[in-house]
Amino acid sequence: MIPQVYYIALVFGIHIVAVNLGIALSTVTPLLKRRADLSGNAKLDELARRIFKVYAATYALAGVMGTAFTVFLLSFYPEFVGVAGNITLVPFAIAITSILVHFLAIVLYYYGWDTFPRNLHFASGIVLALTSYTIPLGFRLVFSFLNTPVGLRFDGKPYINVPEALLNPTFAPLYLKSILGALTFGSLFIMTLAALSSTRGGPSEERSLYSLSLNAALISMFLMLLLGPWYAMSLLSTPMKFDNIFRSFGWSVSGTGGGIDLGWLFAVKLVLILVQVYVLLRLTAFKGDPSFSQFKLSLLATLAAALTILSGEYLNMFSQYPFFLANLPLIASQVPEPWRKILGRSLSLENVSPLSNDPSLLLVTAAGILILLMAVGYFLYVVFFKRD
Amino acid sequence: MDLLSQWLNYPAAIDRMLSIIGIEIHWLILQYVLGLPLAITLALLLHARSKDEKWNMMAKTMTKALGIIFAVGAAAGTISEFGLVVIWPNLLEAAGRYIFFPLYAEVFAFLMEVTFIYLLVFGWSKMGVKAKITLSLLALFGAWFSGALIMSVNSYMVAPTGIVAAYDPSSGWKYEQGFPKVLLVVPNDVVKVLDVEKLSSLGMEVVSSGENGVSVLLPSKIVSRLVSEAWSNVKLGESVLSLVVRSESLVDLEDLLVKDVVDIIVTNTVRSVGYTTVTFLSPVYLGSILHALGSAVTVTGFTILGAYSLLLMRRKDEYYLAGLRFGALLSLIAILAQGLVFGHILGVQIAENNPEKLAAMEGTSNSILSLGRSLGIERLMSLIVYGSFDAKLPDYDSIRVDYCTLDGVPAISDCRPPLLIHYLYYAKTGLSLLLGLYALIYVLLIYRGGATSLSLLRINVLTPVVAQFVSFLGWAVREMGRKPWSIYGIMTVDVAHTVNPGDPLSYGLIALIMVCVVLVLILAVWKLLYGPSLREVRP
Repeated sequence: MIPQVYYIALVFGIHIVAVNLGIALSTVTPLLKRRADLSGNAKLDELARRIFKVYAATYALAGVMGTAFTVFLLSFYPEFVGVAGNITLVPFAIAITSILVHFLAIVLYYYGWDTFPRNLHFASGIVLALTSYTIPLGFRLVFSFLNTPVGLRFDGKPYINVPEALLNPTFAPLYLKSILGALTFGSLFIMTLAALSSTRGGPSEERSLYSLSLNAALISMFLMLLLGPWYAMSLLSTPMKFDNIFRSFGWSVSGTGGGIDLGWLFAVKLVLILVQVYVLLRLTAFKGDPSFSQFKLSLLATLAAALTILSGEYLNMFSQYPFFLANLPLIASQVPEPWRKILGRSLSLENVSPLSNDPSLLLVTAAGILILLMAVGYFLYVVFFKRD
Repeated sequence: MDLLSQWLNYPAAIDRMLSIIGIEIHWLILQYVLGLPLAITLALLLHARSKDEKWNMMAKTMTKALGIIFAVGAAAGTISEFGLVVIWPNLLEAAGRYIFFPLYAEVFAFLMEVTFIYLLVFGWSKMGVKAKITLSLLALFGAWFSGALIMSVNSYMVAPTGIVAAYDPSSGWKYEQGFPKVLLVVPNDVVKVLDVEKLSSLGMEVVSSGENGVSVLLPSKIVSRLVSEAWSNVKLGESVLSLVVRSESLVDLEDLLVKDVVDIIVTNTVRSVGYTTVTFLSPVYLGSILHALGSAVTVTGFTILGAYSLLLMRRKDEYYLAGLRFGALLSLIAILAQGLVFGHILGVQIAENNPEKLAAMEGTSNSILSLGRSLGIERLMSLIVYGSFDAKLPDYDSIRVDYCTLDGVPAISDCRPPLLIHYLYYAKTGLSLLLGLYALIYVLLIYRGGATSLSLLRINVLTPVVAQFVSFLGWAVREMGRKPWSIYGIMTVDVAHTVNPGDPLSYGLIALIMVCVVLVLILAVWKLLYGPSLREVRP
């Protein structure tokens, strides 16, 4: 694989983990705050506020890494961005509008805390939560299109028939699986924070939050275990991806042996899921207030969930290497010229723009990323650990 | 002449309007992202020198403001970025192919801004004054570095490196000789298949030759036609290029896409100039970056003046007075530098490299009421721009309406820039003069005492609005005045545009939401800055 792909994978990986955590946190915060409002529980209110602050940090991290991702994409693959930009107005418009409304909701929710009337504040929280689900709706539509381009039409120019694109067999399972993965990860994350607080003698509200998060993680994990196979089956429509993931297990659609074998990454993902299942079952069987060992187990499950998301995204991304569009080889013959030629080269991950294919640029990028990650580490230390 | 119709008649009118809203909102916010770090650094330096707590309080308030504004700016930037992807994908593709480096490096500048600005915001109470000064300097560097990178791309769009304009102040327009022309370095392999004599007869000039290829100045109407054909996926055999390819080579090359030929030539040109430096060598870059930073500091200065005036209207306090003096002085210095130095440098560079825009800015047309002519300052303008009373300002009516097209391609019916910008430019200049004069008088009043009367404070509160409006007009002149070009001399707006535009209703919805973002920002500033600042000082 070429180095540019690794850079994109690095920033995309950080982005997607932060986004997944954000989906769950932006859902939990308004619900907790509402509960605190209705019960008049000040400690629960403070807890909700703390979770919201963590959410703001994940939102910023996701935003920065998302920007880096798009700029890397533009610099390394300008023709792909040009082609995609010309045909993906609707899915991107869904995502853009949602990002805008979501941002408005964050600001209103933050500044409206204890100043807006309760119902109005809750309404802004609902908008906050809902838009965290519509942002990935737009992006996952693009991702499923990049699996198999359902709805792609040529009428002198390429365009997408949106209703048809929504029926992409990989869209619904991919979107739902992503959402449930996010909820599992987020629930485990909150559960870990609650367990840590509980071991330090935190309030009873945190113990109650621990139990609630444990139940939420169990349910979403169970649902994800159902959706995983659905997405895997939907990949039958994308033989290249299916084969690259499952060939080592003896399953193949095309019956050919070419392509990258990512069976090992799928196995890693399975192990990570099993770790979460094991921890969740262990913690469910345990009764009483969480102790330090419960905290350690929760932390293990949270890390496993983050890595599950990461490995899942990388599995999805690399299993179609070297193509941006997995089914390109299958549909190429149906694409009219000159689009066949243009798509053929613009949808290749190995076709890096000549000017950005400079080794010194890649070296400087690596140094820059390293320095900035160190700066971010120092930032987190100052904000969360350094005393006044 | 119906000025609005002229502007609307360029392609993609609705898309351009949405872009104006998105980019202007981003620009409005950026004024503070660029200006506040400087103001914070100055306040912290004053605090370090005098140990006076009020400077620390001021720096803290401005840091809080920067934290809020930066977050909104980042969101608005993301929206602008996506807007570019889906509305102007071909422009973005060209930028990604050839002038990607500043955009690429900007990621690191952006990360630097995020880290140091929020380190300052969240670590305020955990650091000493020296550490805060260091952080504010790093935040300032990140913000200005980011601005410098983005402005280089924008400058390239206003006047690309190697452009030779079509105007000579002593002899007039040079369209007959094929100007404006664009510098290209054509690889030797490509030169071999071209009929150089034919190209020379069309206005191409050979500048030099070397191992990188042959440097030529090619009429921009040919360049824009080839770029248009490139993004329309025309094959060489059907292209105007086939007329200048040697007949013996044409047979083998006729199925080649024009885009591939254009790509080889432009890539070689950028590589020869240097892909990391090509945008910074734009002939309008120096003036542009100075003018942009000057604008940011000016707007920030007036905003500080307005904000502390607003507080003084509620309560008299030494801290508020210090803020008012600080804002007034910063505004005055910034607007003087902006008007007398930075604006002048940019104006001269625009005159030399984009004379069509200068003609529209000065309104040298008989079809409109020219304010310069009415005020009798045309010769003064000649002196300011060209250094001589005898130099002729470019005549708008003599600009060829088809100078950007070759045989009707690209599909632009009027290549002249919109005359609407004449009034925008004069409004901007007039308001700037008024602001500058007011800042001067107000600073004098401060030193003579009596600068805190209610009526003056009320005027002060209005100054940031006027300063922002001036800045808005400046950006509008720059961006609207470039039309019908997206990249002057190279790519027209119809080529840059998506082949699948959205409908006006959805654009309207997005515009409305963007306006809401600004309203929410104002609400946040009011709640988080104005209220707490009042509470900080006890009556």
